Amino acid sequence: MEPSITTTRSRRLRRTSLAFAIVFASFLSVTALAKQTEEEKAAKAEAEQEKLLQVFVSEPYLELSTGPGRGYAVFRVVEREKSVDVLFRRTDWFKVRDEQGVEGWARARDMRRTKLADGSPFVFHLGDMAGFTSHDWEIGIGFGDYGGADLIGLYGSRSLTDNMKIDLSVSQFLGNASTGWKAELGLQHVLFPEYRFSPFLTLGTGYVETFPRATIVNALDRQDQTAYVGAGARFYLTRRFFIRADYRWHTIFTSRDDNEELEEWKVLIACFF
Amino acid sequence: MESSNRLLLLTAVCGATLMLSGCASFRWPWHKEKVEEQQTDAEAAEEEAEDQDVTPPRVIEPNVARRKIKTPRIDNENWEMGVGLGFMSIEDFGTSSTYAAQFNYHVTEDFFFRLDAGQSTAGKTSFETLGGNIELLTGDERRFTYYSLSLGYNFLPGEVYLGRNLAMNSGFYLLGGIGSVDFAGDNHLAINLGAGYRVLPTDWLAIHIGVQDRVFDSDLLGEKKVTNNIETLLSATVFF
Repeated sequence: MEPSITTTRSRRLRRTSLAFAIVFASFLSVTALAKQTEEEKAAKAEAEQEKLLQVFVSEPYLELSTGPGRGYAVFRVVEREKSVDVLFRRTDWFKVRDEQGVEGWARARDMRRTKLADGSPFVFHLGDMAGFTSHDWEIGIGFGDYGGADLIGLYGSRSLTDNMKIDLSVSQFLGNASTGWKAELGLQHVLFPEYRFSPFLTLGTGYVETFPRATIVNALDRQDQTAYVGAGARFYLTRRFFIRADYRWHTIFTSRDDNEELEEWKVLIACFF
Repeated sequence: MESSNRLLLLTAVCGATLMLSGCASFRWPWHKEKVEEQQTDAEAAEEEAEDQDVTPPRVIEPNVARRKIKTPRIDNENWEMGVGLGFMSIEDFGTSSTYAAQFNYHVTEDFFFRLDAGQSTAGKTSFETLGGNIELLTGDERRFTYYSLSLGYNFLPGEVYLGRNLAMNSGFYLLGGIGSVDFAGDNHLAINLGAGYRVLPTDWLAIHIGVQDRVFDSDLLGEKKVTNNIETLLSATVFF
């Protein structure tokens, strides 16, 4: 087979259009469905133009497994100098198609040793310490304490640089006197992103909604704006995982004369990608 | 006599050395002129060549089209989203149907995060059924709404075979996490533990059968106790 860097992706297309068809069939009327078929044709033509990456095996062989995990059987090997088309990636496995059209899963570590058509190495992110230092996104879940109430939290963050990130956290608190939820948006400054353990500082603003428990008389639901400063630490565990411990000192701008001040701490298990 | 001979010999040797090393050691005025003369000769020759329009030797262009590699973006399919239907056995309130939505992020081949939320409606306690017109909870309070944040662990990966030509990937997973249950007019902190089995008919579609126990403290029937609420769910999810 003559090396070309791209081939069409007809299989993915069938998949996408099938998914579209199922979703639309259940929600749209017959006329809308007819319209969709035309749109589908246009999408099909467009998708056929879409190209796939072709990489060449430079090790003695590349193993293909039946599934994206170490437990799945190796059912095929691709020889050196032969090529595979990269269909998509799931965790640290790539779904590829060889020159005979056989599809299988190749381990990311093995794909790192393949070459592009111009002979340059195939480079991509792996979940390792270097990825911990430099990545785009983080998500995490955790548990903690918010002014004496139990706290369940979820957060996501987007890296601006290795040091600076935008944090969005949403959490629910369940206390004896009241329950509620809050959402916060802020900046996180990681002091030493290149180390396994690094402290960080945070600053941000948020919104809190509080519902007093029914047993408390004359209490009203409250919606308040908040601001926080905080500090914490991050510790890289393994692969794509790290632990994040967070302390925040909140000021709640209440409608009363005094602002309320609350402390929050939480521990999160998080991953980056 | 002897000394004059020696002097003569020495002079001869020195003279010969000077003559031999010549231009390297001494820059004689006539020598410089000679070099300049040679240079002008060379320039003249060059000019002459240019005048005669002598074409330079041909450079052979290799007949190879240089390819520009533009690496296409590789699709990452780590997110999974879907809905499910099943049964929820609410402690003391019987078993009712439930529906739920789930959102997974696959971090590695072994671990994934799951956010799920669902709703069920509690039935009657045996006390209410036997006691006639007694109603422990109002209609709204019977709604059992929950969500949880969990970490999942995949194990026992394998394949299932349907007939001679169809093999589908499958695997078991364990789940554990925390969440909240809104039931009987109160929010409870809940711990969820469960397990599931997943079959993938295609790379993008997964069918799950899962069981999760949602455990929380309740003092609804007088004394505080731990309640176990077991949910069985059949769900379909799509990877994207």
